[in-house]
Amino acid sequence: MSSHVTDLGSSQLAEHRRRMLPPLVRGLLWAAIGFLVFNTLVSQILDRQPFDPFITRPSVAIGWAAALIGWLLGVGGWEVIVRPYFGYPVEWDVPNDWRRYFMFSTDHKVVGLQYIFSTAGSFFVAGFAAMLMRLELMHAKLWVFSNPGSYLATVGIHGTVMMFSVGTVALVGGFGNYFIPMMIGANSSAFPRLSGLSQWLLPAGVATVVLSPLLGLWDTGWRGYAPLSGQDPSGIVFYYLGVFALTTSSLMVSINLTATILFKRAPGLTWNRLPMYAWGILAVSLLNIIWLPEIQMTFVLALLNNIVPFPLFAEVGTPLTYMEAFWLFGHPEVYIIVVPAFALWQEIIPVMGQKTLFARQWGVLGLVFVMLFSGLVWAHHMFTNMRNSEMLPFSFFTEMISIPTGFAYLVVLGTLWRAKLRLTAPTLLVLMSMFNFLIGGITGVLLADPVVNLQTHDTFFVIAHFHYTIIGAMIFTWLAVAYYWMPRLSGRMYNEKLAILGAIWVFVGFNGAFGQMFFLGLRGMNRWAAAYPVYLQSMNFSVSMFAFLLGLGFLFNLLHIAWMWNRGKPAKKNPWGAQTLEWQTEAQPGEKNFHPLPRVETGFYDYAADGPSRKDE
Amino acid sequence: MDLLWFTIIWVIVSLLGEWGLHALEHLGLYYYTASAQAIAGEKAVAFILTVLVPVISFVIVLLVYNAIRFRSRSNKPILSRHQFRDNKLFIGSWVILSIALNILFFVHPSASAVEQMFNSEEARFNRNDLVVNVTARQWEWIFSYPQYGIQYAQDTNGNSTLYLPVNRNVRFVLRSYDPYHTYAPYIGVIHDFWVPAFGLKQDIIPGETRYEYVHTNKITSYDVDPMVRVQCAEVCGPGHPYMEAPVHVVSQTDFAKWIQVQKKLQQS
Repeated sequence: MSSHVTDLGSSQLAEHRRRMLPPLVRGLLWAAIGFLVFNTLVSQILDRQPFDPFITRPSVAIGWAAALIGWLLGVGGWEVIVRPYFGYPVEWDVPNDWRRYFMFSTDHKVVGLQYIFSTAGSFFVAGFAAMLMRLELMHAKLWVFSNPGSYLATVGIHGTVMMFSVGTVALVGGFGNYFIPMMIGANSSAFPRLSGLSQWLLPAGVATVVLSPLLGLWDTGWRGYAPLSGQDPSGIVFYYLGVFALTTSSLMVSINLTATILFKRAPGLTWNRLPMYAWGILAVSLLNIIWLPEIQMTFVLALLNNIVPFPLFAEVGTPLTYMEAFWLFGHPEVYIIVVPAFALWQEIIPVMGQKTLFARQWGVLGLVFVMLFSGLVWAHHMFTNMRNSEMLPFSFFTEMISIPTGFAYLVVLGTLWRAKLRLTAPTLLVLMSMFNFLIGGITGVLLADPVVNLQTHDTFFVIAHFHYTIIGAMIFTWLAVAYYWMPRLSGRMYNEKLAILGAIWVFVGFNGAFGQMFFLGLRGMNRWAAAYPVYLQSMNFSVSMFAFLLGLGFLFNLLHIAWMWNRGKPAKKNPWGAQTLEWQTEAQPGEKNFHPLPRVETGFYDYAADGPSRKDE
Repeated sequence: MDLLWFTIIWVIVSLLGEWGLHALEHLGLYYYTASAQAIAGEKAVAFILTVLVPVISFVIVLLVYNAIRFRSRSNKPILSRHQFRDNKLFIGSWVILSIALNILFFVHPSASAVEQMFNSEEARFNRNDLVVNVTARQWEWIFSYPQYGIQYAQDTNGNSTLYLPVNRNVRFVLRSYDPYHTYAPYIGVIHDFWVPAFGLKQDIIPGETRYEYVHTNKITSYDVDPMVRVQCAEVCGPGHPYMEAPVHVVSQTDFAKWIQVQKKLQQS
């Protein structure tokens, strides 16, 4: 298929040699051409349907794939990947200015920043959807949306974008791509071209999901649940396609970062000295490599189920199969989101406390065992539809996974004890993040209990629980590292007072909104409901108020970071006094990290005054 | 000294936490319960939280204590004078306690409560159950009482309604299909049968028959507390939020009267 698209491209090639369109424009153009050609081919020639519609579900799916390939080639895949593959020299000049962020790049720092920007953008798009939902729920009857279906489509977009383009990506594709090669003393990631390509799947996937309701309101939530999806209008096709692009992006990132950590470590960087964040990214990447292909195959089945169509998940098929396959991925996904956050707590606290990391080996064990256990707990999402005999093992492992999770707390609390802790915004956000995850974890123990689960499942109790783990832990940590690494990323310092105000602001908004949701769920509020019994209205109103406060809080932090990125006071090299390697270089995008490569002699977390790392200072 | 102060604060906060939890228990952790199953669930929540309050307080107090007590007054990096990477007692007790707590919770309440639930579903305990056939369609609940020949229990407005006698075991037989469009095999989707006041729910899967057992334990109704309602809890399309029906738990005599009324309605 791709060769057809490239043939198309080649007719423009002679021109492009002399004067190339901006890569984004060319990508859009090639995408449009790819879509038109393949959509027409399928709907008019290969698979004509009664009344001869120009766009059919099969044609739009094939057309979308062609458009995606056109887009990837247009932004630079053609020059960087396809032509070199046939033996031509790479002719791809990345200008040394803002334009490099809008084209294919193989520099891991550029790719990291591209991911950071696109995840932040996705976060605010999906966050806006959440604000619309909370606006609707201020009132017991429909008043913002014209029908419950458009509310459900909004829920679906919010969940899908948050999960697959923020939660899974921000700390891995974003900060991981930027910092992991630096932290392990490498000059590039292992597969820079793969990494450059993966970033461009993200905007394509987000656009596909966000624009999907134009083709019909799909109402399954972020899970694309069959058999309900089988009844949905064509918007659901774009859900499956968009998520396919987003998960492929994460899969590529994970393959790249795994190989980077395995093979590109600086001389002397043994496994015993590997930074905690690298351990976290390694664990999460292995999770991605195991589970993303599984969910992608599930989504391909569901897509075929819709466009062929098949009755795979209808009552004449097996409705539970989709659910099982979805949660088989769905629970590891939660740890995919939160494991990098655990690792980052253990990265930031020793620096801010200027104290040796406590019980490091237990921290590593924790990350690795969370990764291993996470594949054994998934069916606790299905206590309401499984045989009784199947509940207990999943209940057991779900409770047990709290043990390795607790090791992250063990390490951080031990490190904090008698530290010289600077209460900066990153510190505060890590502590808040730990508080939030504690609440998420405790309610997780309740949910792991089958009898309790049968009451709280599919209520706002569950919504509150997983927002505590995802926003509460991962998003708060994301903010923490944004402040922590801002001097490294931009060379400028944020305003401490404003940042602390921002941290407290989101903390109050978050706990006000989601803390109440636990009680709302116990009081009888079910999920996916745009309208609900009137007795729940006053509590919902109050949740909405805090939710708006939270939304404004995130906006405040964003504006603060964006402003200080350009106008902040110039920062010193290594302002926090960290020992990890990313602070030992001042390389900016477009520059080499290290020359020569560093030789690592000790671990990075020893702060003893006479410790080995101090001797050469 | 730090250890002592921390321990004192921790104990005080734990006690306060237990006291607060106890007060919440009195108000009702599940807000409103109307079945033996709901009470079992509520007790499980209370037990888990009672055990965990000291753990929660430990982490929170330690986080706050550390942040305040060990804060640095300078914003320059100053090495802490206390550098250690190991404390066998702390790590050992942490690991052993966390394993012990988890095993405790698995034995009780998880396994013990699940065993009770299994027992309540044993056929030999359910010879005289009231059987209610529940059919979920998009978007309506249909309740029929095969033992009384009632096809479609409805109120005077023709809306579905669920009447149950108090202090009885009820066996809900759950199916998802559309009795008005039985020729359409694609029409069934997953629903979820949930009465919030009964404290449990069960997904209804098209093509499968599932059961839920409830022992009603008080006379109540939707008018007493809106948690006494049937609510679909699994998203089933745009009509999902409206897929609800009021529940009435009534005395044995009132139930018999209601049956007579329904029979008359059936004939008309």
